Amino acid sequence: MKKQQNKPFAFRGKYFFLSVCILYGVLFLFNRESAQPALLKSVHILVRILPIFVVVILFTALLNYFLQPRQIAGYLGRDSSYAGWLWALAGGIISHGPMYAWYPLLEDLRSQGMRDELLVVFFASRTIKIPLLPMMVDCFGLKFTIVLSCYILIGSLVQGYIYGLLNRSKLL
Amino acid sequence: MNEPDSCSIFTHRHQGKIIQSHKEKNQRKQSGQRPAFRAVLQKSALAFLAMAPLLLGVIGLVGLFQVIVTPKMLTALFRGNSLLVDTLLGTLTGSIAAGNPIVSYLLGGELLDNGISLYAVTAFILSWVTLGFVQLPAELEVFGGKFTLYRNILSFIFTMFIAVLTTLTLQVLS
Repeated sequence: MKKQQNKPFAFRGKYFFLSVCILYGVLFLFNRESAQPALLKSVHILVRILPIFVVVILFTALLNYFLQPRQIAGYLGRDSSYAGWLWALAGGIISHGPMYAWYPLLEDLRSQGMRDELLVVFFASRTIKIPLLPMMVDCFGLKFTIVLSCYILIGSLVQGYIYGLLNRSKLL
Repeated sequence: MNEPDSCSIFTHRHQGKIIQSHKEKNQRKQSGQRPAFRAVLQKSALAFLAMAPLLLGVIGLVGLFQVIVTPKMLTALFRGNSLLVDTLLGTLTGSIAAGNPIVSYLLGGELLDNGISLYAVTAFILSWVTLGFVQLPAELEVFGGKFTLYRNILSFIFTMFIAVLTTLTLQVLS
């Protein structure tokens, strides 16, 4: 388990952000018709997921406030039982918005002892979107939605299990 | 006997208070008492802020991909292929495309109406959420190379596997 350290504040992914800015700059020079709507779309996405960012910040703070690192490690760490798997599965299903919006919270949980296989379960189970289930039923039918959801749930757990096996066997 | 003056009494009391407050702090530390919620919230917000360039970069790429990779382009890819190639294409295109999963459902429905196999459409809507080339740099930075690589490989294999299983199960059920 990695211990949480008080690192000095530093921006992460600066060069990645700079590369994206340069990409936009080049696109604005040579293909303005694509660059402008792309930028507008990005702003639209940012505005739409801002509330999710707020929820993630609040959720991270609440977790850190009410739970000690050793408690989190107890629920999701090496010694966690089947409950840890169910927490990860439920977390993945409930979590709303794009995957990258949850990276800060998951990184925080990981630094406090969350197992990597449970992270895999969380990511895999995100395919089930409860608010979008009616839409899926409308597009593909009830039978398809039920069968797919069941396989996603089983598949998420199996993926986590395989990752854990590979990790323990030192193949990773 | 000399009586202490008011100034020295104040100093002694003040020093006493400081010592007491230090003792309380040490006791709180030892008993593992919670810090103030505001401080915890500030720490979470700062951690999030540190990740802002990474997240903004991903959002910028998502916007770019949504404009460059059009639904028409995606639909055109699936014409006249074998089931295996279609499933593979469904997984690949789903991981390249970006945006709200609702779009993947609508596109998937359109693909089905155009005669594309359910294998490919299922793989497409699954990989839309679990895989993402656009968010790979951020995932790599946050979780490390090993985790990102193996999670995505597992996810890729399972997307195809689940797509095949779902279609076969539906065929058996009907």
